[in-house]
Amino acid sequence: MYEQLLEPRYLWWLWDGFLVTMAISFLTIIFSTTLGFLLVIAQQSHIKIIKGVVIGYNAIFRYSPLLPQLFFWYFGIGNLLPIEFKLWLFDEPEIQLFLFTLKMPSFEFIIGLIGLTCYSSAFIAEEFRAGIMGVSNGQEQASLALGLTRWQSMRFIILPQSFRIAFPPLIGQYMNIIKNSSLTMAIGVLELSYVSRQVETESLKTFQDFAVATFLYIFAIVIVGTLGNIYQSKYLQIGKV
Amino acid sequence: MDFKGFEIIWHNLDYLIFGNFPGGIVLTLLMSFAAIVFSTILGIFAGVGLTVCDGFLRKLLVIVLGFLRAIPVIMLIFWTYFLLPVLLNIDVPAITTVIFALSLIGGAYIGHSVHAGMVAIGKEQWQAAFSLGFTKTQVIIFIILPQALKMMLPSFVNQWVSLIKDTSLAYIVGVAEFTFIATQINNRSMVYPTEIFLFVIMVYFIICATLDFTVSVLPKYHLFSRKK
Repeated sequence: MYEQLLEPRYLWWLWDGFLVTMAISFLTIIFSTTLGFLLVIAQQSHIKIIKGVVIGYNAIFRYSPLLPQLFFWYFGIGNLLPIEFKLWLFDEPEIQLFLFTLKMPSFEFIIGLIGLTCYSSAFIAEEFRAGIMGVSNGQEQASLALGLTRWQSMRFIILPQSFRIAFPPLIGQYMNIIKNSSLTMAIGVLELSYVSRQVETESLKTFQDFAVATFLYIFAIVIVGTLGNIYQSKYLQIGKV
Repeated sequence: MDFKGFEIIWHNLDYLIFGNFPGGIVLTLLMSFAAIVFSTILGIFAGVGLTVCDGFLRKLLVIVLGFLRAIPVIMLIFWTYFLLPVLLNIDVPAITTVIFALSLIGGAYIGHSVHAGMVAIGKEQWQAAFSLGFTKTQVIIFIILPQALKMMLPSFVNQWVSLIKDTSLAYIVGVAEFTFIATQINNRSMVYPTEIFLFVIMVYFIICATLDFTVSVLPKYHLFSRKK
């Protein structure tokens, strides 16, 4: 019966893949939230060009699939980079950072991170925008009437309220980021889906292998959902007046 | 930067659109269409099930839908691609497995929107319909669903757009759809990846934006709705 199970070394492979998935998702979540926030702030500007650029950015990244986007970054932009820089990256150099050495991640990992960040930031910007739209117009008018400047009213009145509205869909987007990170296997990031294909090819135990990988994905999604719920009920108190 | 790359696209335009028929953009459109139709049908059934069923059956449905929504599309494509042939003991073409996976995922998302729409219809509608002597099936088919579907149309469109985008994942199992063909051409020419993939992104953008525009903007001009 035991020979039906995956051997421990394959489980370790999958676990390593899971850690890469978590790393790339976590970094994407941080970067894309920052970028999405900046985008939505820029969109509030009264200058038409800035507004148009943000709307165009959101539309392009939201209406085209992630996979060609990743290919674009990997082949298209990778092609334009100077060759010395790429060779330097392929060596996976180590950077001395104060107390500890930071090992540069692989070229694929960086490109995957850039692709995921650009894609997800457009979605996150839309969630933030929906949050800002959800705050009633009267709030802004009242704060302006109280003598706050436009930026102050944004910073102290609108954004705190819109964050509450945008938070639940934001958690959904974070789950999507974890799921979308599986696409980076196409450009050769050694994350969970990629590793599960490897294990499948080597061990031929398709069912057990995919079951473990699927379980790990669900595990990650459940963790994000639970953390989101805890934060929401503790600090945001949505639903309580 | 000169525009040699676009020449390559121009020379291969036929191949990009048709592939070795069916393939390329045409296959992408066909797969999207099939996935949209199946997932919408599945989603309506799932939504009605969520609203009507209770007890164990409902719990089961919630768990299945939650499972489908929690795993990445690629994982589900792997499951169907490697396990459908084993389970059914026949050779299932890759296209079918991809459409199957996409329909299931899309159906899970659409099911939840249908359910949300049906819940949002006022209780009075149900009561009025029941008091007019409709059976439960009739109430759902003739009274509740038409209103709920109309209300949730924007959410459906979002899901349809993401289904179109997800057909690009068929690349992973080697279906000759648009992304796959584009990478083929990229591998053949090797020199102009930037232009080729920009072109791919633009084509997908046009397809998705057109769908979104036709379905969500046109009804506002009362082209589809009945005159009052």
